[in-house]
Amino acid sequence: MIERKERKPYWRHTKWQVLASLIPFLAIVVVLPLYSQQLNSSRFLGFPLGYFLAAHGFFVIAVVTVASYVNRQNAIDHWHGAHEDM
Amino acid sequence: MAFGARARMVNPRLGTYFSIFAALFTALFLLILIFEQLRLDEHLLKVVFFAGPIVIYAAIGLSVASNDTLNYFASGRRVPALYTGVLLATCSLGGTFLVAGTGAFFFAGFDALVLMLGTLTGFVVMAIVLAPFYRKFGAFTVPSYLGRRFESRPLRIITAVVAAVPMLLVLSAELRMGAGVAGRLITASPNMIVALLALSVAVSTASGGMRSFTWVGVAQSIAVFLALLGVATTVSVIVTSLPIPQLANGPMVRSLVHNEVREGLQVVNVWPLAFQLPGEGFAALTKPYTQPFGTIGPLAFVLGTFAIATGISTAPWLLPRVAATPSVYEARKALGWATVFSGLAILTISSVAVFMRDFALDTVMSERLGPLPKWLFDAATAHLVAFDPSAARLGFDGLKFDRDGVLFALPVATGLPMAFAYVLIAGTLAAALVTASATTVSLAAVLCEDVVQGLSWEPAPAQSRVWIMRGFVIIVAVCGALLTIMAPTDPLQLVLWALSITGASLFPVMILSIWWKRLTSVGAIIGVATGFAAAALAIFLSESGTLNVPSPIAGVLGLPISLALALSTSLLRPVRTRHTLEVVRDIRVPGGEIIYDREMQRLQLRKHVST
Repeated sequence: MIERKERKPYWRHTKWQVLASLIPFLAIVVVLPLYSQQLNSSRFLGFPLGYFLAAHGFFVIAVVTVASYVNRQNAIDHWHGAHEDM
Repeated sequence: MAFGARARMVNPRLGTYFSIFAALFTALFLLILIFEQLRLDEHLLKVVFFAGPIVIYAAIGLSVASNDTLNYFASGRRVPALYTGVLLATCSLGGTFLVAGTGAFFFAGFDALVLMLGTLTGFVVMAIVLAPFYRKFGAFTVPSYLGRRFESRPLRIITAVVAAVPMLLVLSAELRMGAGVAGRLITASPNMIVALLALSVAVSTASGGMRSFTWVGVAQSIAVFLALLGVATTVSVIVTSLPIPQLANGPMVRSLVHNEVREGLQVVNVWPLAFQLPGEGFAALTKPYTQPFGTIGPLAFVLGTFAIATGISTAPWLLPRVAATPSVYEARKALGWATVFSGLAILTISSVAVFMRDFALDTVMSERLGPLPKWLFDAATAHLVAFDPSAARLGFDGLKFDRDGVLFALPVATGLPMAFAYVLIAGTLAAALVTASATTVSLAAVLCEDVVQGLSWEPAPAQSRVWIMRGFVIIVAVCGALLTIMAPTDPLQLVLWALSITGASLFPVMILSIWWKRLTSVGAIIGVATGFAAAALAIFLSESGTLNVPSPIAGVLGLPISLALALSTSLLRPVRTRHTLEVVRDIRVPGGEIIYDREMQRLQLRKHVST
């Protein structure tokens, strides 16, 4: 169980982690499709680059975002003693 | 801690059981393949491929029947991350995004990526800001969560009513999509098939509630991925000699870029708020595959992404899945798997669309040189393609594809045996059944928990709770079937409406309930109610032509209104009770007891003392 005086630092730490994971990701969601027209003139693996980044690239970015968040947040839980005892 | 580790232990034989199911499904496919080559009656094979899997699903559902409350409403909280993830992915896609989504990619090309960006963003947002906290709270339904979190019975009942609407829409969409797909396997009237599918949903979920749904749904998800990935990989090996359909279609995309414009597909420009995903039925190709924003404008693309993302991340038929994971850490991992599986499925259907585009381009180009390819006539007899064989020159205009048939036209166009088309149909039917069962079970749980027993916090005795829910599963299945039969609407449209209504009404309040301590119950009620009213009004005005915004994205305009009202009401009339503050503090820390279970136990104790 988490100690009382650890609650505030834990929540501050968590908030920063969430912002660090979410804001770059949401920025990519908005910006990436808008630039695909320009990027389409280049090629990658035969795909037009804009299409490739918006489809395959975005998939990789989403998976990496969640994976890194899960990893970091788990470490934060353990650091502050907020983890579950299994 | 009072709720011992024994109840949350994960069954170590799960892998074995589902390997047996995967082997069964593959064996069924191979048998049908062999019998097809032996020229057995085609109708018999189709009926076997329709009925066989459904009988297996029903058997799984009945074999895990349970009368225990925790099992019946939360699968005993022992569904590991991988299984929850694959279930979340297929529930969110459903038959609609798989079948109509392939059609959308085929016709709209780049613009259909809005479905993929929306779904993945939804899962990422859910993983980071919602799912772990919802799991820590552990409520069986979304209205129970909000009601308990704010200690407000009106909020619980209003949320239940608001959440019921999108769930009914999705149920109706999936039943219609499932009936359309199953109609390619069995010859019966569409209404008959809708009734049959609703019956199958009720039979496979009523006996064990969420527990039945979970294990049947996992089996169905395995069928979906086996069918989709199996067929796409086979086609990819034949066409490109690489077994990775998602990546191997690059050179074909390049040939599309080079040749489509030359063969008469013009680059289209639309105004920034246009949102014209293809509707049901046959249509000709209109825009080059990789051209961005030819059917969906740039602004509508961003709005559509967020409409789908907010809807997916707070969907009341997806979030309760999270409460069934064994721990908060597993809940986070489950969302990671959901991202992987849904992205994989959508990348695969986009590659199917590219393969079909390539076949269509080949047809148009080879027409000058010789006769039309044979697959085109096969596809036309299967009602997948329509064209005029007597026309002097077909071109892209003369070649019309069924939006909901593009996926099944792929094995036909490649010249594979019909068994490959049947397995795809069985797979997408399974996807439609997963989402239909998810909405049925979740809606029944909402009606049973939050409407019928919504006025008292004390849970009814376990037996009557389970039997009321059983009754509601059947009632919801019947209502869904009736709605589908009486008001047939394009499933893709229905799902997009449902997601934007969910996003507008529930998303702001759900986020604030965790991340903003000062949100009051009055603020939450106003947020949910106005979000819903604004979204429904915007969709209605857009459909009647008054509002000049396309209806699939009009709903999300209610989101800022809901957010602003929830914030301002809470700031103007601040109310704080110690208990709700305690609950918020508790939600934010993963360790410790599950809040919902603890409160239920406390209520039972109090009842025990007073009597």
